[in-house]
Amino acid sequence: MAKYGGWAGKVLRVDLSTGRMSTDDTVEQYKDYLGGTGIGYKVIWDEVQAGTKPFDPENKIVFGVGPLAGTGAPCNGRTAITTLWPTCWPRPLVASGHMGGHFAAELKYAGYDAIIIEGKADHPVWLSVMDGRTEIKDARQLWGQGIRRSTIEINQQMGPEATVAAIGQAGENLVPMSVVMNSYSHSAGGVGGVMGSKNLKAIGVRGTGSVRIAGNKEEWEKAIKLHLSLLGANNQNVVPNSPQPWAEHYNAGSRWMASAGRRWGASDPNIDTGACEPHNLNRIAYRTNNAAFFLGDKAWQYTVRGNGCTACPIRCHTMLKVPAVAAKYGIPEVGQNTCVGLLFGKAFFKTFPDGPRGQTAIEACMVGMHLADDLGIWENYGQLQRDFQALYYNGIFGRKVAEKEFKSYSWDKYEEGDPTFLFELLPKIANKQGELATALGLGTGYLLERWGIPEQEWLENHELLYWKFGHPKHHSNEDAGQCGVIINTQYNRDAQCHSHSNFTRNGLPLEVQKRLAVELWGAPDAVDGVADFTPMNVYKAKMAKWSLLRKELHDCLSLCNWMGPWVASPLRERDYRGEDSIESLLYSLATGDRKSRQELDQVAERIFLLHRALTIRDMGTKEMRTKHDTIPHWVFADPKDRAAFSKGTIRMDRDDIKLAMDMYYEEMAWDKQTGSPTRETYRRLGLETVADELAKRGLLT
Amino acid sequence: MSGEYQKHQVLEKALNFTNSSHSLSRREFLIMTGGIIVAVSALEARGAKEPPLIIVDQAEGLVIADATQCVGCRRCELACTEFNDGKASPTMARIKIGRNLNFGPKGPYAGLRAQGNWGNGLIIQDLCKQCPHPVPCANACPNDAIVVSPSTGARVVDPNKCTGCKMCQRACPWEMMSFDSDTNKATKCFLCEGNPKCVEACPSGALSYVAWRDLTDKVPPRVVPTAVVSPEKAQTCIDCHKK
Amino acid sequence: MEQEPKICTNILKIIHARSESGQLVRVEEILAELKEQGFLESEDVEQKAHLETTLKQVLKENRDLKAISGKNGIPYYYSAQSLSETYAGILVRKSENPLWLIAEVVRENSQLYPRPVPVDSFLEPPFGLTREEIAECLTTMREQREYQDIARTITSVGTPFLYSTQHLDPDHAFTLAEWLDVGQVNNP
Ligand code: SF4
Ligand code: SF4
Ligand code: SF4
Repeated sequence: MAKYGGWAGKVLRVDLSTGRMSTDDTVEQYKDYLGGTGIGYKVIWDEVQAGTKPFDPENKIVFGVGPLAGTGAPCNGRTAITTLWPTCWPRPLVASGHMGGHFAAELKYAGYDAIIIEGKADHPVWLSVMDGRTEIKDARQLWGQGIRRSTIEINQQMGPEATVAAIGQAGENLVPMSVVMNSYSHSAGGVGGVMGSKNLKAIGVRGTGSVRIAGNKEEWEKAIKLHLSLLGANNQNVVPNSPQPWAEHYNAGSRWMASAGRRWGASDPNIDTGACEPHNLNRIAYRTNNAAFFLGDKAWQYTVRGNGCTACPIRCHTMLKVPAVAAKYGIPEVGQNTCVGLLFGKAFFKTFPDGPRGQTAIEACMVGMHLADDLGIWENYGQLQRDFQALYYNGIFGRKVAEKEFKSYSWDKYEEGDPTFLFELLPKIANKQGELATALGLGTGYLLERWGIPEQEWLENHELLYWKFGHPKHHSNEDAGQCGVIINTQYNRDAQCHSHSNFTRNGLPLEVQKRLAVELWGAPDAVDGVADFTPMNVYKAKMAKWSLLRKELHDCLSLCNWMGPWVASPLRERDYRGEDSIESLLYSLATGDRKSRQELDQVAERIFLLHRALTIRDMGTKEMRTKHDTIPHWVFADPKDRAAFSKGTIRMDRDDIKLAMDMYYEEMAWDKQTGSPTRETYRRLGLETVADELAKRGLLT
Repeated sequence: MSGEYQKHQVLEKALNFTNSSHSLSRREFLIMTGGIIVAVSALEARGAKEPPLIIVDQAEGLVIADATQCVGCRRCELACTEFNDGKASPTMARIKIGRNLNFGPKGPYAGLRAQGNWGNGLIIQDLCKQCPHPVPCANACPNDAIVVSPSTGARVVDPNKCTGCKMCQRACPWEMMSFDSDTNKATKCFLCEGNPKCVEACPSGALSYVAWRDLTDKVPPRVVPTAVVSPEKAQTCIDCHKK
Repeated sequence: MEQEPKICTNILKIIHARSESGQLVRVEEILAELKEQGFLESEDVEQKAHLETTLKQVLKENRDLKAISGKNGIPYYYSAQSLSETYAGILVRKSENPLWLIAEVVRENSQLYPRPVPVDSFLEPPFGLTREEIAECLTTMREQREYQDIARTITSVGTPFLYSTQHLDPDHAFTLAEWLDVGQVNNP
């Protein structure tokens, strides 16, 4: 028997140029990097030269999962896909996309912790991974087809249980703003074109094996039940959306939507979501309804049920059945997705005839999901749609696009909020038809460059929520003041970190949050009330570091950072405490490699540090503070010109943010001047060879 | 566990004496006497060989499912094998979601009539019916390895007897026999001694453990079973039904 | 009274059952139910007093049982096993005076979390007020001195929220309302 549980034990390597396939031993080669993005960064560091472009055959794609994927640990469904990022502007750098669904688990059951894709096939292919048997198959008959049809055809070959991660026409056409998608609605953005550049249409995975739990099975069962008991609704919102008999607290902003009278109206017969008392673990799946959260009460009547990833009881992908769309738009009645994926179609429009929460908005969502999730277009966390609105309403399309092309779009329909407009726009983006659609498909940074628009304009516009490098902010100062700002400076795409926002949005009274903050980060001052921020302090820096490390840890273990960490809970008898050690508990039991919370956080820090080193290497500068960790101007402005720290504003203060970065670098033991990690830090975290390599290039402080 | 099964068979043999002197069919007899466990054997009198095991009594409970409540999370499959066997293995789970998850029981050729995540959303949970006599999986087993659990009446695999021949897999019309590739033994739903882990694990309350009811004529079979029943067993059936 | 333990159990049962169905219960209601069950033969004042003492005893012995009184001092009983203090508070105020209900809910939210409350949330259970009732309350509030702290703010998509000026500045209240109504959805 293998020494460790949790890991499947092997990493699959496929060179599409030569057709060569091989395997690496996961534990031997990658245990110090856990899995997921850890394996991804390691492979890119070791094997992909600085200066490689995303669509070069020399770029690699790493589909990585972790030791908890495929187990019963709640929320373990996410696959991390690491590669050089095609929308990262002006210079592509390493980044990762994350898809839920059933791919991660199926990959483990097939015997693999990761798949590394190398090279480029000379004709379209797809990869069939059936337990230990991998084959490169001809995909010429699939090329040109959408994700749905491709998936079904592959399932017809591999059997109904296989999970297929496929790209659509967007990925085939090397549109940078494209996704890979599995299990109908679970996508990872940015990766589609990279797969397309390798002529890789899809990966089908089917596994009949198992993931061994190394620890005692009774203890594992207890740990799972503990974890389940701490869950809230989606985003770890731990209080219900409206007063419930059992609840001390409630919050109209909570995704815990269940309540007596709110029904899954399109289930046959329909189902009342009810009170969902938190100790009743057989009701967790009714708590969340993201369609109702995002689209308003009308969505209840169309709700079939919740859907989501393997082993996750939250079900954030709400399945909707809207009969009217079949006749009106000729699309299926049933659709599903979550958050920005759900809002894909709606978000293009400024207004709808019946308002933002009416029927038309829902129909726009249905049309958007139907098109985008088949063509495989990425929305870059809503930046595509925000850009679109700004470019249209500021007259930029009119100026940059030839008149004939511009006039070929039904702008009257667009302005009216008519969802049929999406049938004109989205296929053109996927097929690179015309200047307007082609530019949109590049991503913000390259679009601005192509059209000669200074990035500055985007950096100053608060409404665009643009941050840097072609990507938007993702839970920044609006959610967590300086802590959010720090987090948003650290990645090469939007930060995708929810550790902090899942805490600040949990719905508990500020007083309770502060009490929990004392235990977690050392002082109540780590957290502020929304739009009532206080000057920087070291506890906020500690919270930022913790948030980043947990995000990276989740991406390596295969836990969902859209749910975790679980440091607050809905349980009054615990004073709403969660469990800061749940990750290490699950990791230790699953693998048999006992690690304390601190030890596991240190592994996460190593992985995060490797991401930093990769960024430094590929940027060719150690001046990270000024060249990488940048902050858009809108963070320091306020529409009503209120001063920073006054009530009602999320405006930050420049000097205070300087201090914030100082404190953060200090917490990370990085050089304050440059924002680059020191040799000592690399050494402490077991990355001395990485430091050597950087030193050779003159990139070590 | 196997000790208990053996005790069981002593009881079965003890009950066999009624076989020769009573005009009631074995099954009727059991209903009348409230008997729990029985195997009938025509060969017993000859005494040379172990009599073939034929389960006649009914299970006490079974797990039933509401498909409209299923959210396709597969926690039931994982609870089944993690908490019972210490590994996450949906293929081996004794409740089966994965095969219907994407397209429903008709699979990826169902086209517009598809169920599951790619169709109308309905997810059919496949569960063991704890079949009444004649129990297809048990009858097909050449080693009489599928026996009755004393605690729940569930039809369970006795790993000490199972040789891993998979005859049982071909006998179940609902494809509910599983196989543990680590031990090379068959396994099936044993109702977790009356506390089914899957029921406890379901986050939408879609599963319930209830008093046994006959679902064999209500749930359409997935396959046409192709198992062979040994001549001895067949003879036993003939002998008994003749009466 | 050899019936004593039986009565105690029944009182406990009555309160638990009410709480489980999301309701509070008053002494009279308990007595009426006991009477139906045959524990109270007449309107005998002495017997009634005795029963009230028994009730007090039951409350003391069962830590989960709580009393909450409204403005007029009449106590309501519930079990904390199934009803929270927050929910019980809403029920008491609702049964007495919707005006007071709205004001207290708005004040509590503004102070504790802090956040403003969407006006429409009062349409839903457990508040269950009608649009007309809410509108009427809000008009009346404007005229009564004790409710002068209750203010209104409207988000960019036109959703009205209420907050208490005792606890929130208008600017802060607006930003928070916008955050709840638009911000969180646009920043998922
Ligand atoms: S495994 Fe199949 S044949 Fe055996 S009892 Fe269960 S449903 Fe019946
Ligand atoms: S595999 Fe099935 S038929 Fe074969 S011995 Fe085991 S239980 Fe009996
Ligand atoms: S645990 Fe429940 S909801 Fe999840 S797959 Fe099983 S039956 Fe369906």
